[in-house]
Amino acid sequence: MNNVIALAGVVIKELYRRKDFYVLFVMTALITLVLGSMRFFNNAEIVRFLKEICLMLIWLSMLVIAITTAARQIPAERESRTILPLLAKPVSRWELIVGKFAGCWLACLTALAVFYFFFGVLTATHAHAWPGLILFQAFLLHGVFLAVVLALVLFGSVVFTAQSSNATISAIVVLGILLVGGHLDHVADGMKGFGSDALYAVFFAIPHLEWDYNLCNFVIHDWPAISWLYIAGAAFYGALYTLLLLGLTWLVFRRKTLTL
Amino acid sequence: MIRLLLTLVFVGCFSLATVLDPLLKGLHPQGNDTSSVIGALMGESRRLFANQLFVEADVYFHSGYYPSMFDATESDLDVNEGPAGDANNHSKLVNGRLHVEEGEGFFGRPRDWLDGFGRHFYPTEHTHLANANIREILPWLRLSADMDPHRIQTYLTASYWLRGTLDEPDQAIRFLHEGLRANPDSFEILVELSYVYDLNKKDPGVARNLLEDALKKWKEQDAAGLNPSPKARVEILDGLVRVDKEQNNVKQLLADLEALAEVSPNREAIEKTIQETRAQLAAPAPGRPN
Repeated sequence: MNNVIALAGVVIKELYRRKDFYVLFVMTALITLVLGSMRFFNNAEIVRFLKEICLMLIWLSMLVIAITTAARQIPAERESRTILPLLAKPVSRWELIVGKFAGCWLACLTALAVFYFFFGVLTATHAHAWPGLILFQAFLLHGVFLAVVLALVLFGSVVFTAQSSNATISAIVVLGILLVGGHLDHVADGMKGFGSDALYAVFFAIPHLEWDYNLCNFVIHDWPAISWLYIAGAAFYGALYTLLLLGLTWLVFRRKTLTL
Repeated sequence: MIRLLLTLVFVGCFSLATVLDPLLKGLHPQGNDTSSVIGALMGESRRLFANQLFVEADVYFHSGYYPSMFDATESDLDVNEGPAGDANNHSKLVNGRLHVEEGEGFFGRPRDWLDGFGRHFYPTEHTHLANANIREILPWLRLSADMDPHRIQTYLTASYWLRGTLDEPDQAIRFLHEGLRANPDSFEILVELSYVYDLNKKDPGVARNLLEDALKKWKEQDAAGLNPSPKARVEILDGLVRVDKEQNNVKQLLADLEALAEVSPNREAIEKTIQETRAQLAAPAPGRPN
C-alpha cells in the first residue's frame, strides 16, 4: 500500500509541475468571462447559456488532462528505462498500475475541484444563488467518469506502442460513447439479424459514460438534485468498469517486456 | 543578392494577387452575405447552424427535456407556440416552470434496463419556461439571427417573447428593425412590428401604417406568383380591423371588414359585424337633428 501511495504522490507532483492544467484553466476562465460580459437584448440576468458553455469547456479540459496524463505514465517510464529500477524496489506490477491510476485520478480530482469551484463562483455571481446539491452530484459523477477514462487510457498504454495513438484512439472511443453510446439500442431496434444483435451487444458492453455527462442538464437548467440511489448506482457501475479495465491492464502488463 | 531576389518575389506575389483577386471574384460571384466575417467564413453552411441554434432555444424552453435525433421528433417547436400552446394542455406552474401533462412524452417507454436507468440522469419531465425565466432562450435566438439573418421565424419568435412575457417592447422593435433591414420584403416582420406598436406602445396610428405596408407587400408577392401564405393576409386584415376599432374609424372599419370577409374562414361572423357597422354608420350621431 505504501508503494501505491508513493507512486501516486509522484504522479500528482508531476501534474502540478506541468503546464497543461494551468493553460486549460486560464483558457476556460477567459472564454467564460468574455462570454459572461456579453449582453443579449440588454438582459444581464441570462445565465444558463453561460453555464452550458462553461461546463462544456470544463468537460473538454478535463478529458484532455485525463488522457494526456494517463497516456504518458507507463510509456514514459519505459522510454527513460526508469521502470526497471522502479520494479526492482521491489514494486510489483499491479502496484505500479494501481499507483499510477490512483495518482492520475487524485490529480484529476484536484483539477476538477478547482474547475467546479470556478463554475460555482461564476453561477453565484451571475444567478445570485449557489447551484446547490446538484452541482456536487455532477462533480461526483464527473469524478467517476474520469476514473473510467483513466483506466481505459492506462489499458491503452500497455496495448498500443505509441503514446499519440493511444491518446487519439482513447479520445475517439470516449467521445464516441458520449455522443452515440446511449443511442445504440435505438439504432439496433431499426436493424435486423446479426447487425442488430451485434449492436445490442456493444450497447450493453460499453461503459455508459454519457450518464455522467447528461447530469449537466440538471445543473444548467436548475433542476433539483436527483436521488442518491441513482448516483450510487452510477458510481458502482463506473467502479466496476474501472476495476475491469485495470484488471485487463494488469493481465497484459504482467507478461510485457519492459524494454522497448 | 538573395535579399533582393526575395524582395522581388514578394513584390511579384503582391502584384499578382491584386490582379488575380478581382478576376477570381468575377468568376465566382457571391452574395452580399460575405460582407460579414461569419458569412465569409461559413458560407451557406451557417443556415444549418442557425436552425440548430433555433432548436437549442426550444431545448432551453423545455429546460433540457428534448428528444435527440434518435428519438421521435415533434413536427413543430413549442417555442413558437408560447402560452397559447400551454393553455391547450392541463398545466401547472411550479418554480418558474410550467409543467405540461402528457402521455409517454418524447422518449416513449424504456427499451431496456440500461435505457431505463440512464433516464434518471437527464430531465424527463415536460415543462415550459415561464415568466422571466423565458429570457434564457434569447441568446440562442440572437445567435441564430446572426448566423442566418434571413431566417424570419427567429425574429418573430424573439419578438413574441420580448413584447409579451418579458415586457421589453423596445428590444423587440430594435430586433424586428434589424430583421427588416435583412429582409425588406417580409410582411411577417411588419405584422409583428405592428403588434408591438399597437399592443405594447398603444400607438394604433403607426400600427396601421405598418399593416398597410404589410398588405402591400403581400399583394406584390402574390402578383409576382410567390404564393405568400393566405393565412398571413387574414392576419393582416384582422390587424387592420382591430386598429380601426381602436381608432373608432367606422368608415375604414367597414372597408377592412369587407376585405376580410372575402378571405376569412369565419365569414358568417364577419358578415354579422359588417351589418352592425353599417347600422352604426347609418345611425345619426348623438345630439344631431334628423
